Amino acid sequence: MSDVTLTIDGVQVTVPAGTNIVDAARQAGIAIPVFCYHPRLKPVGMCRMCLVQVGTPKVDPATRQPVLDANGQPVIAMMPKLQTACTTPVSPGMVVKTTTEEVRFAQRGILEFLLTSHPLDCPVCDKGGECPLQNLTMGWGPAVSRFDYNDKVHFEKPVKLGDLIYLDRERCILCGRCVRFQDEIADDPVLGFDNRGRNWMIISKSDPPFNSKFSGNTTDICPVGALTSSDFRFKARVWELQSKPVVCTLCPVGCNLTLDMRHDRLMRVMPRENAAVNDIWICDKGRYGHRFIEAPDRLTTPLVRRNGKLVPVSWDEALEVVADQLTLIRARHGGQALAGLAGPQLSNEDLYLFQKLLRELGSENIDTGIGGPAALPPDEIGGWLAPGPNTDLSKLGSGTVVLVIGADPEEEAPLYMLRLRGIAQRGGKLVVAGLRPTKLERSATQVVRYRPEGELAFVQGLLKAALEHSSRTATLERLAGWKELRAALERVSLNNLATACGLTVDGLNQLAKDFLTASQSLIVYGWEARSAGPALTEALAALMLLSGRTGTANNGIIALLPGGNSRGAIEMGVRPDAGPGYTPRKQRGLDANGIWDAAREGKVRAIWLAGVDPAAKLPVARAALEAAEFVIVQDLFLTASAEYADVVLPTASVAEREGTYTNAERRVQRSRQACAPVGESRPDWQIVAAVAQALAMVPIGGGRNGPIPVTTEAWSYMVAADVGNEIAAQVPGYAGITYAALAATGTGGSWGRQFDDAIYYDGTSYTNTEGVGLVLPALASKGTVNLTFTGKVTRFADERPMLLLEQVLAYDGDRHLRGSKLQSLIPRGYAAISADDAAKLNIHSGDRVRLISAAGEMVIPARVLADVPNGIILLPAGLADVMAAEIETGPRTRVNLAKVVTE
Amino acid sequence: MIRELVKGLGTTLRYMFKRPVTVQYPEVKRPVRERFRGRHELKRFANGQERCIGCALCAAACPADAILVIPAENDPANPRSPGERYAAVYEINMLRCIFCGYCEDACPTNAIVLEHQYELSFYDRRAAIYTKEMLLVPPDKGHGEPPPILQQLNRQPSPPAKIDL
Ligand code: SF4
Ligand code: SF4
Ligand code: SF4
Ligand code: FES
Repeated sequence: MSDVTLTIDGVQVTVPAGTNIVDAARQAGIAIPVFCYHPRLKPVGMCRMCLVQVGTPKVDPATRQPVLDANGQPVIAMMPKLQTACTTPVSPGMVVKTTTEEVRFAQRGILEFLLTSHPLDCPVCDKGGECPLQNLTMGWGPAVSRFDYNDKVHFEKPVKLGDLIYLDRERCILCGRCVRFQDEIADDPVLGFDNRGRNWMIISKSDPPFNSKFSGNTTDICPVGALTSSDFRFKARVWELQSKPVVCTLCPVGCNLTLDMRHDRLMRVMPRENAAVNDIWICDKGRYGHRFIEAPDRLTTPLVRRNGKLVPVSWDEALEVVADQLTLIRARHGGQALAGLAGPQLSNEDLYLFQKLLRELGSENIDTGIGGPAALPPDEIGGWLAPGPNTDLSKLGSGTVVLVIGADPEEEAPLYMLRLRGIAQRGGKLVVAGLRPTKLERSATQVVRYRPEGELAFVQGLLKAALEHSSRTATLERLAGWKELRAALERVSLNNLATACGLTVDGLNQLAKDFLTASQSLIVYGWEARSAGPALTEALAALMLLSGRTGTANNGIIALLPGGNSRGAIEMGVRPDAGPGYTPRKQRGLDANGIWDAAREGKVRAIWLAGVDPAAKLPVARAALEAAEFVIVQDLFLTASAEYADVVLPTASVAEREGTYTNAERRVQRSRQACAPVGESRPDWQIVAAVAQALAMVPIGGGRNGPIPVTTEAWSYMVAADVGNEIAAQVPGYAGITYAALAATGTGGSWGRQFDDAIYYDGTSYTNTEGVGLVLPALASKGTVNLTFTGKVTRFADERPMLLLEQVLAYDGDRHLRGSKLQSLIPRGYAAISADDAAKLNIHSGDRVRLISAAGEMVIPARVLADVPNGIILLPAGLADVMAAEIETGPRTRVNLAKVVTE
Repeated sequence: MIRELVKGLGTTLRYMFKRPVTVQYPEVKRPVRERFRGRHELKRFANGQERCIGCALCAAACPADAILVIPAENDPANPRSPGERYAAVYEINMLRCIFCGYCEDACPTNAIVLEHQYELSFYDRRAAIYTKEMLLVPPDKGHGEPPPILQQLNRQPSPPAKIDL
């Protein structure tokens, strides 16, 4: 768009056409006070705070030329009334006056009116100190009010809008920012206005109240203390807080957070601006779900089992036990008798050292997660074909095609829902395909709904159509299994594929063409897509490769995996089949399920669990841990697995340590230490290094495996940055990703924070001073994609009428959510079935149903949901009381459904 | 030499018959001025409720960083102070305090007042931290008036302090 030059208070500014006067003035360093305007929301002109005088060059109606005065300057025709700067777009030659007496009079008047019924309880208000109403009243308001203090309207306060947000209607200035955020950005239109006149108020329209995963953001943008967070209620005054930059590890988005600490205690969690990741928003899981840091039941000292009881010991003692036992087991049974599982929320440093030590000890039995029937092999596609450097979803709009397949971003990676929705709002094409409706679908430009039989057909149909439009098959030809896939595609007709997925041939062709010809194309897939088997995601990978743009900015595949650093875990080589950087290992180790089997057979004797709790979910794991000779549990809490542990090592939480994390787009971000570790807990990487050091000190030899190849010198890391440097040097693809480089990546936007000049957006977000992270250079761009097309689909043990799918929930039984306000939002276990299926069996919500599969059966309350397709049962396996492993035969399971009839 | 001795002793003798200007502290305590700034007290309203609403403005105003306030939410059925918030923890470190009275000025409810007690000595540093229990006046010592200083200056207290005026 062309630029427009205008004059604001005598200062000439040039801004893109379409900019409004408030933003234009801000670029010139002139603050026009606003309340209802927010740069991320559509202007509505509700509060009138931004009134200014506006004039435009006078045009001679006859000649259509600007009228010039005696000096040859254009004559400016001032508009007769003040204009709202937030809704008035700039025009060439416009003259704006923001400081005239007329404007000041209006500003004072508006503020006096806004304060007529304001309770003036700033001393007890949580917004006090970062409140735009305070700031603007000090800067632009009248010194006194002519209204009677005793004539204020009073409401009962506060009103609880759900368990997370409190509304104080007396303080509300009815700017509508919260309503508009929910409508425009979060797509949860649950807030609204009610009543009129002096009783005009904000209400929640949903049941349960304020039912949104993004509700916390309204407390940031509310320009007064009307909406406040229950989590920060009367905890501290904002000026007492010290802001510490960390990264959220609760999902693979990796939102930038600010932990606001007072005296080393966590007071609240705020977003930290990063336009490319979370902009200025975070989800409620990130905002409220970090209370685990201060949970009273955190482990504080190492524990060692003595006479059947775990007793507190010093680190030296615990490390000695670990080193002795590992040495002994390795000497007797070889390195393969050791195994380790790490959690996907650990940092890259932890994960890298974890696999390094185990591999040095001669074990390849390393995996992420806990295994179980639904476990899937590590997702390589989302790594090889991830979007390239400079990827920034916030810039994408028209010209972009995003294909979201089998994913529920709102639950799996909440912030991605906002980002993807934003792309559609800016004119991008958002195609959402899946077995069942998701919230993102409401924002989609095209929705594809298929039956389970149709999903592979849909993707293959797209691929087949794409093959007709693209000749960029050079990379594909080199990949193992491509010939077979291609041959298979040639055997089916596009017509059949289209029928199978419920689209037309033209529809498939059009979609494939759009995808290939777009200036940017992205594919996002989640659990549902992965659970169909590798064939589905492989076809998506082929489709991406056909676009020929893989590995460039904003082009690629984003895989939504469970856990905050799941991509990092794969890249650091915490997997049995490959080392760091997708380098295949000569010898393949055991995956988690293999480890459980081997442990029960006595082949694996020592199991090291770092940040995973398999015993809570898997009966096989309990048996395996029982059978194992030596179990190390390294965790924040005394988990169910700790019952089987011989040594328990307390780890420091994400807030208590430094680290880097790789998000789903392969953006590496640095998280800082916010407070001292609880008790004697230590960061995981330090624990691994300490174990290595202790191993190096063990005097006895290594038996038939030779001496322990670990030396004290090689394992003396002083700080996390040392490990970071080693990762940069050793892990393919991570060259140059040092701590210094990560910190030097800029401030991630133009927001400003509370003490900046942008006082009218106060309290909304925090400047990012720690860098916005680096997207790793694409692995695929070198033309060395190392993927294999296996063509495998998920098989079932037997045929039964219903298809059981795991449902990922944002608020689940994750032990990191303990002690948080989210607890009341975590549902009890249920199996969701469609209304039709329920009617057939006369099942009502709350009735107990029996699910029977080839593996076993389970009884669970049913929940009848309108948006579950017939024939499908959704089981939220992440909930603490859902033991999905009891009936699952694989990532998907065929089951019988029956109502439990009592008496 | 004798002369000097006699002169000196004479002075001593003269003063023996004069009224002494010193007082026999601690047996005798000198009164202090009305606006003397001594040890703080946390005041109450006439109905016995705490005046302090836990806003921590005193802590923000304090140049010596002597005050710690940790607020909490009032139980609506049994509120300790008017409104939603009260100070769960209120501590003043008397070793840090410079008795400037800024806290008193900052307080919107006139809860913290520097009173006339000046006997502050401690055997250890911990004892110098006055807790809320030590600072709070007994329930029957509440009052509804703004402190004299504000009356003198003819200033109106800020709205929350007007609650029971
Ligand atoms: S609650 Fe806050 S954001 Fe919503 S209308 Fe009121 S003042 Fe505006
Ligand atoms: S979207 Fe994910 S990364 Fe962002 S705050 Fe929520 S849980 Fe954390
Ligand atoms: S009198 Fe001055 S130094 Fe002492 S607590 Fe009050 S503000 Fe702080
Ligand atoms: S009317 Fe412009 S900011 Fe509210």
